[in-house]
Amino acid sequence: MIRDSLLQIAQVLTVLLLSPLIQGIIIQFEERVQRAQGPGIFQPYRDLWKLFQKQIVVPETASWLFWAAPVVAFTCMLTVPILIPVLTNFPLPLSDMGDILGGGLILTLGSFMIILAGLDTASAYGGIGSSRAVMVAILAEPTLILVFVGITLLAKAMLPFVVNHLLVSSWAVYWSPAHLLLVAAFFILLLVETDRMPIHSSTHIEVYMIEEGRILEYSGPLLALLKWASAMKQFILYTIFCNVLILPWGLSIKGTALGAAGAAAGLIVKFTLVACLVVVVETAQSRLRFYRYQEPLAASFLLAVLAIVGTQLS
Amino acid sequence: MLIQHLDPLASSLFSLLAIVSLLLSFIMLGSRWLKNYLYAFAAESWAIAVLSAAVAFYGNYPELYLVALLTALFRGMLLPYLVWRIIRRLDVNREIHVVLQPSTSLVLGALFVMFALSVSYRIAADLSLELTVIVLALTVMLSMKLIGFLMLTVRYEAISQILGLLVLENGIFLGSQILVPGMPLLFELVILFDLLIIVACFGVLVGYLQTHVGTTSSLDLKRLVG
Repeated sequence: MIRDSLLQIAQVLTVLLLSPLIQGIIIQFEERVQRAQGPGIFQPYRDLWKLFQKQIVVPETASWLFWAAPVVAFTCMLTVPILIPVLTNFPLPLSDMGDILGGGLILTLGSFMIILAGLDTASAYGGIGSSRAVMVAILAEPTLILVFVGITLLAKAMLPFVVNHLLVSSWAVYWSPAHLLLVAAFFILLLVETDRMPIHSSTHIEVYMIEEGRILEYSGPLLALLKWASAMKQFILYTIFCNVLILPWGLSIKGTALGAAGAAAGLIVKFTLVACLVVVVETAQSRLRFYRYQEPLAASFLLAVLAIVGTQLS
Repeated sequence: MLIQHLDPLASSLFSLLAIVSLLLSFIMLGSRWLKNYLYAFAAESWAIAVLSAAVAFYGNYPELYLVALLTALFRGMLLPYLVWRIIRRLDVNREIHVVLQPSTSLVLGALFVMFALSVSYRIAADLSLELTVIVLALTVMLSMKLIGFLMLTVRYEAISQILGLLVLENGIFLGSQILVPGMPLLFELVILFDLLIIVACFGVLVGYLQTHVGTTSSLDLKRLVG
């Protein structure tokens, strides 16, 4: 029991400590593909350290929401790793608090608070950023729900651990069209939700900003919390993509310390593979116009619907 | 009937190929560029040719190998080449006036697939053939037909309309390969010849449209001329 609790803490710590590394790996790989030197894979850690040293400047128009949003967003991202298989392939204490939909709800709560904070300071860019982020969320959410429904129908359960076991145990399910289509649909969602290329929302030009526009007024440690929270969100989505959908192997089965450490090392390898794929997409794909954002998401919706049709047939 | 005693590997191979061709027809539905339609159509025909060869292998129909070869040659290479020649002559690259945005038509196509699934459950239940691969083949066939009709109705450009017609025909052919393999070879030859003549006539017709009306978009063909 104590060992399981420690493992649960280790899961949260893994997400907390390794999430800037994944961000750094993606950025570094992208720079190398473009034949630039790149800042090195540890740059996000240095950025966070720098931001934590700085002073906080708060706009006069800001209310308590401005202070609450980063803390709530950060806490949400600390809660989700409890619910999903990060290191072990069996449920740990408190992981029965919520199923896949519950995890999705908490993830969305974090971005909801940041959207409110963007509106709170009454700056023009914050408003634009928030309204655009809501638009993208409205387009992405139905697809996310459909992917979850597809996973549920495939495994006849709402728990990520069950899906993981099913995929590990049966090659027939792993290569079934329903599963492959779900992987494709979730990959598009992954690109959208982590600010990658077809809808690249974190440019440094204010007029085009989406996600960044909401946090333009933040500075110092609060900004660091928000950046860290978004890196953790990316890590969590990658974990769901790898450990539940595409690479369900390499998790600790018995729950020993060595197994957990191996699983953490395995996570880095898996995420590097996914990151390579993401870098290919980012290099090959140009940014879409705002009025064409629905196209990749419609494709993802379609793939999810086809996957559900596939689950009905198997 | 072959389909009722298939081994699991064969039935999963058939399902995979059927789903791949369905996805390719969705690519045609969701793209704006005529070149992409053409590539997707060619790839779809190749998938169907592989399917015919697989049916021939698992069901011991030697003449289906010939059908597979003809499908790959005619539908996979000759028809796309003819259409490509028309595209090059006309110098059109994309749909200019779209009735439905690609994303809307993708979502509509997804709804069609669901409709096709429920219809094919009914059909399979009526024929008391509730095997997975049969329902899947019926679903893919019906949804490819519906997608072909959708492309015919929402696209104005003459090239997309001919490709819509070809997708419709590909859907029927795919369904027939899985559901009733071993059609007489003569049927197959007649259908292929039909398609060839359709595309050839279309090329001539499009040439006339271009010289006499100055456009190949059906949007501009509003006036009756004697």
